[in-house]
Amino acid sequence: MRVALLLAPALSVIVVLFGGGMAVAVSRSVGWMPVIGLTDPSLAAYAVVFADPDFWASFALSLHIALTSTALAAVLAVASALLLRHSFAGRGIVAFLFQLNLTVPHLVGAIGILYLFSQSGAFARLAYQAGAIAVPGDFPALVFDPYAIGIIAQYVWKEAPFIGLIVLANLQSVGEDWEGVARSLGAGPWQRLRHVVLPMIGPGLVSACAIVFAFAFGAYEIPALLGASHPPAMPVAAYRAFTDVDLAQRPRAMAMSVVIAVVAGVAIWAYLRAARRA
Amino acid sequence: MRDIHTTVLAAAMTVLPALAAADTDDGDSLIGADWDTIVAQARGGEVNFFLWGGSDDINRYVTEYVGGILADDYDITLNRVGLNDTAEAVNIVLGEAEAGIDDAGSVDMIWINGENFRTMKQADLAWCGYVDTLPNGALIDWDNPSIANDFGLPVDGCEVPWSTAQFAFATNTALVEDPPRSIAELIDWVADNPGQFTYPAPPDFNGAVFVRHVFYHAAGGPDRLLGDFDQATFDAVAAETWDILNAMEPDLWREGATYPQSLSAMEQLFANQEVALTFNYEPASVGVNIENGTFPPTARGYALTDGTIANTNYTVIPYNSPNKAAALVLQNVLLSVEAQIEKADPAVWGARPGIDFGRADAAAQAAFAAVGRHPDVVPVAELSANALPELQADWIAAIEQGWLDNVGN
Repeated sequence: MRVALLLAPALSVIVVLFGGGMAVAVSRSVGWMPVIGLTDPSLAAYAVVFADPDFWASFALSLHIALTSTALAAVLAVASALLLRHSFAGRGIVAFLFQLNLTVPHLVGAIGILYLFSQSGAFARLAYQAGAIAVPGDFPALVFDPYAIGIIAQYVWKEAPFIGLIVLANLQSVGEDWEGVARSLGAGPWQRLRHVVLPMIGPGLVSACAIVFAFAFGAYEIPALLGASHPPAMPVAAYRAFTDVDLAQRPRAMAMSVVIAVVAGVAIWAYLRAARRA
Repeated sequence: MRDIHTTVLAAAMTVLPALAAADTDDGDSLIGADWDTIVAQARGGEVNFFLWGGSDDINRYVTEYVGGILADDYDITLNRVGLNDTAEAVNIVLGEAEAGIDDAGSVDMIWINGENFRTMKQADLAWCGYVDTLPNGALIDWDNPSIANDFGLPVDGCEVPWSTAQFAFATNTALVEDPPRSIAELIDWVADNPGQFTYPAPPDFNGAVFVRHVFYHAAGGPDRLLGDFDQATFDAVAAETWDILNAMEPDLWREGATYPQSLSAMEQLFANQEVALTFNYEPASVGVNIENGTFPPTARGYALTDGTIANTNYTVIPYNSPNKAAALVLQNVLLSVEAQIEKADPAVWGARPGIDFGRADAAAQAAFAAVGRHPDVVPVAELSANALPELQADWIAAIEQGWLDNVGN
């Protein structure tokens, strides 16, 4: 009873604000919007969305952004955590620099990526000074590009320290005794990583990755700032439909938002499973 | 479902600070009321003005100049709420209407025109009929069809004009000595100068206006596009427009594989010399951008010989605004000759007036005539000699959707 009371403020925020928002999104996605005369619920908006090749292009792009960013960030994070758990000269400074990104807002990071990597950005200007390119168009397209390189770079830069911190905390709580045992039994470095370290940090790693995946799949601002105009990432496509001047487009926007929420929900389910095993 | 929605918004409302001053959500009691009474009701209150926030100069004019007058003369707090897209404010009002919040909305005024105004009218979200109550309403020339009609849709007293604008191009004279001065010349110029031109992807406001210029060009002028939407005419003209734009695509910036998603993104490309031309529905912006160092001093605005599209923009008061008296005072200040002259100053904003200075007194007319022009902004006379009308919103929506389906995919 006391636990329920103590949790009530946090739970009511989640249930009322988040749950309420989701309920509104679902109701609008099935075409329930009395103010403009939509009072006949149906799944028509979903049918339209799923029949639209542009939707699947956006879905594939968002999946690519989320999967690639998460995989790259995870590899970097594990490698960094393995280095940072040992003590060495300057470790404090390196650990500080490693965590610094966590405090920088995503939007600021995106502007930084833009200033550095655009075709008239800092690196393009250096390349021009070095005589490597003659006009901005000669510099490779790293932002607004079809492969979402700029978006993925931003997510990896921002999320590798996040995953890394969780893995590092795991590693430090596990200690190095198990690896010592494995070494004394003749296991090589790769065998120790594969059979000792990874299984022990696995649940923490998977749960951190699930959070990063759900975020990268559903976040709007980075693909809006760094993405190509077509196809738009899922959240950008949903927002465009939401701000379409034709009010009849609102159900389509909400259907796309519900799809984003479902994908994020699957990731969170994976997270909970992983957390339970931990 | 409705209950949950209401609960959510009710919960959100209770955490907001309580609103001060008199609640003036009842518009009927204000219409035709004595102006001093309205000012007295508005005194000590606040007004939430939602407007596109992408220009520092406009933001400064609204917050400091207009906000200053409201604070000093009327004791009203002006809250400027910056938007990326005016549809966001319309969405807020729409959401409130749906939740049954008919007298305590969070939006008191929106800077608006065209399709968003149509949405407000379509869903009955605009407060109408108060224009004659404004003392400065007498300065508005409702006999001018481009004032009385917002993108072909009759205003019907549901909004009041703020400024007029006309599309203009700009180039960097250090790089391009002789820029293309018509859409036909532009098409050839892009083919001769690959990678030097692009336009923001519709539904960006300015990108959509550029596409309409090409649409007018394909139609041989706007004459047969005026009036109600006509599918047969649209299909014929649209097919040619998409052919032109698709043929242009390989010679655009990034070979047309992507388009800038906003005017500010394109202005950055222009400032960084990634592209050689830019354009803006607000012709004065090139002067402002030179003065604040964004554009090089060699940038210069220019008009097209086959004309550019002109429009009027307005401010609208949502039906559920709880601060209608303060909103009326704000609107009256915006319409005043002092505020319109300040707004026309190229060092401030450079926007052309929404009022008819011919209706103002001689001193105001002289003051307006004395307002200078930035040397790099195309002269008003040169632009307005070839002003093209805007189309009705149905045309505009069809052109934007057609571009997305046929060119931007």
